[in-house]
Amino acid sequence: MKLDTSGLESTAPLFGSLSSGIHDEISAAPSFALPNTINFDGFQKEAIQMVKPAKGTTTLAFIFKEGVMVAADSRASMGGYISSQSVKKIIEINPYMLGTMAGGAADCQFWHRNLGIKCRLHELANKRRISVTGASKLLANILYSYRGMGLSVGTMIAGWDETGPGLYYVDSEGGRLKGTRFSVGSGSPYAYGVLDNGYRYDMSIEEAAELARRSIYHATFRDGASGGVASVYYVGPDGWKKLSGDDVGELHYHYYPVMPSTVEQEMVEVTGA
Amino acid sequence: MGDSQYSFSLTTFSPSGKLVQIEHALTAVGSGQTSLGIKAANGVVIATEKKLPSILVDETSVQKIQLLTPNIGVVYSGMGPDFRVLVRKSRKQAEQYHRLYKEPIPVTQLVREIAAVMQEFTQSGGVRPFGVSLLVAGFDDKGPQLYQVDPSGSYFSWKASAMGKNVSNAKTFLEKRYTDDMELDDAVHTSILTLKEGFEGQISSKNIEIGIIGTDKKFRVLTPAEIDDYLAEVE
Amino acid sequence: MPQIFEYNGSALIAMVGKNCFAIASDRRLGVQLQTIATDFQRIYKVHDRLFLGLSGLATDAQTLYQRLVFRHKLYQLREERDMKPETFASLVSAILYEKRFGPYFCQPVIAGLGDEDKPFICTMDSIGAKELAKDFVVAGTASESLYGACESMFRPDMEPEDLFETVSQALLSSVDRDCLSGWGGHVYVVTPTEVKERILKGRMD
Repeated sequence: MKLDTSGLESTAPLFGSLSSGIHDEISAAPSFALPNTINFDGFQKEAIQMVKPAKGTTTLAFIFKEGVMVAADSRASMGGYISSQSVKKIIEINPYMLGTMAGGAADCQFWHRNLGIKCRLHELANKRRISVTGASKLLANILYSYRGMGLSVGTMIAGWDETGPGLYYVDSEGGRLKGTRFSVGSGSPYAYGVLDNGYRYDMSIEEAAELARRSIYHATFRDGASGGVASVYYVGPDGWKKLSGDDVGELHYHYYPVMPSTVEQEMVEVTGA
Repeated sequence: MGDSQYSFSLTTFSPSGKLVQIEHALTAVGSGQTSLGIKAANGVVIATEKKLPSILVDETSVQKIQLLTPNIGVVYSGMGPDFRVLVRKSRKQAEQYHRLYKEPIPVTQLVREIAAVMQEFTQSGGVRPFGVSLLVAGFDDKGPQLYQVDPSGSYFSWKASAMGKNVSNAKTFLEKRYTDDMELDDAVHTSILTLKEGFEGQISSKNIEIGIIGTDKKFRVLTPAEIDDYLAEVE
Repeated sequence: MPQIFEYNGSALIAMVGKNCFAIASDRRLGVQLQTIATDFQRIYKVHDRLFLGLSGLATDAQTLYQRLVFRHKLYQLREERDMKPETFASLVSAILYEKRFGPYFCQPVIAGLGDEDKPFICTMDSIGAKELAKDFVVAGTASESLYGACESMFRPDMEPEDLFETVSQALLSSVDRDCLSGWGGHVYVVTPTEVKERILKGRMD
């Protein structure tokens, strides 16, 4: 069966002036209603357990000669159950910056969107795009302010700014690391294995894209919680571009064609069953 | 039984290589009341004399033919009390098999288990061999079956067999009368006639016992009334 | 299901057709989310007309299988015949209940052809409670999806080829919703005259 990957399509970034009313509302720090309970810690403990899906993931990003390569799988799981095979884990913050998603899906989505707003406001106020360093710090500071309250975010901020390619790792425990090579999620050890082995700074874009894709593929093979589609993005001086989105179900047989002898009969598509 | 320091086996070889205890056991069987069995084309019959020590004994309280499972019956020649021990052990064995496999125990399996017990009693310390031979009659997936088990633990499948006091006469009689295509009713007649040979006194429904199993795979002991009917047919 | 049953991951299915049956499993052996092997055997042949699938903890499945083979060989020697599927199911049940207070963490699936080529399938829990079924039985970490797939795809009295197709599709679509099973499939279709064994290509993620 072919995966429905329509959800993985890129969306055109929204430009345009915002009315001042909306501006005030979204520029303010987000506030959250607190639950009306005496035992806040106990309530929170339970609530955290309830909103904990989308744990298994493989995401990676690395800097090389031509820019930054970002890749991810597309599986969302709840325990052993696969709730989706077409999750967009690479979040397009603005045309020059990408974020990756690992940990809680809602936390990642919400705070990346929030970061996108802040980046745009910075752009409007200063008439120049925010640096990757600055953007990642904005996110890290927000996450730090919620530390211990159950947020679950493990993300990479990758982009191109005035200083060239930039890559940061940020997580909900308050960590923020600058680096040239990261992988995040349950499949990251497998991805690192392939990535570290094949990485060279002077790769071409094609080589880098293939390395990223292959790293994700190998992670989906070994990691039960990763799978679906291996998406690869490239960020260069002209902003990001989606290079590929391959169903790893097909990718496997592309990398490892089956010897005719092992399969006695191939499956055929069922029509309308 | 067999757990004392001094409990060695009572069954030991004589210098000539015989197990005298087993021969004595066979003698006990040979002096017991005559029993016989016939495997017919569509069933099995086993029969025995039931001579009681005194006319004062209530003959309805004595049952020499016993059921082991609904489709397997047994009769003995030799010592009654030893027979009861074997019946108890066999029934337990059959139940265990049924509990494990949810399937009635096949006749061969049960016979082998009984034979194993009897053999064990020829080799264990502190015990003596059983003073009985058994005729086991059953009907299972493999059809009607008749087995004889001896005190040594050896067993054979028979078309017809006899044991006890009148064994040689009875066997000669059966050899003459037996045919492969015999029906169950004929077999009952033949068994009565065989018992009648060398029967001391008048044969009646009170001094013989007959058990039959047919294609319904239900073993049952004939009532005195049924035996009377058969006796009348034989006259 | 307790966590220990999901340690290695598994998907098992047996389905009845017209005078035939199929039994199928996935091929993954994992340690929690980590995939260790993709050619793991979860279905065992007891004799030509009787198959056993063991879902759950792989180490217990292998140990249990060895004990069952041992018991079946003894039975064959003693009774000079193969076990009927019903009889074998009772034996498995009895062996499982022996460990009532420290069970094998397995859920067996038994499928075989009985007298007059009548197909027999059954499953039981880890302590031997038998569940006989006329149509299909499933087990493993993908059992919920398998129930759904079988419920909608099963038709009575399928011919062997149809049965193979149905079982294969049910298996492959079900494991696509389970992190812990999949990585290919293994199908046996058993008719009175032959046993067809096939390896299925599947998603390897």
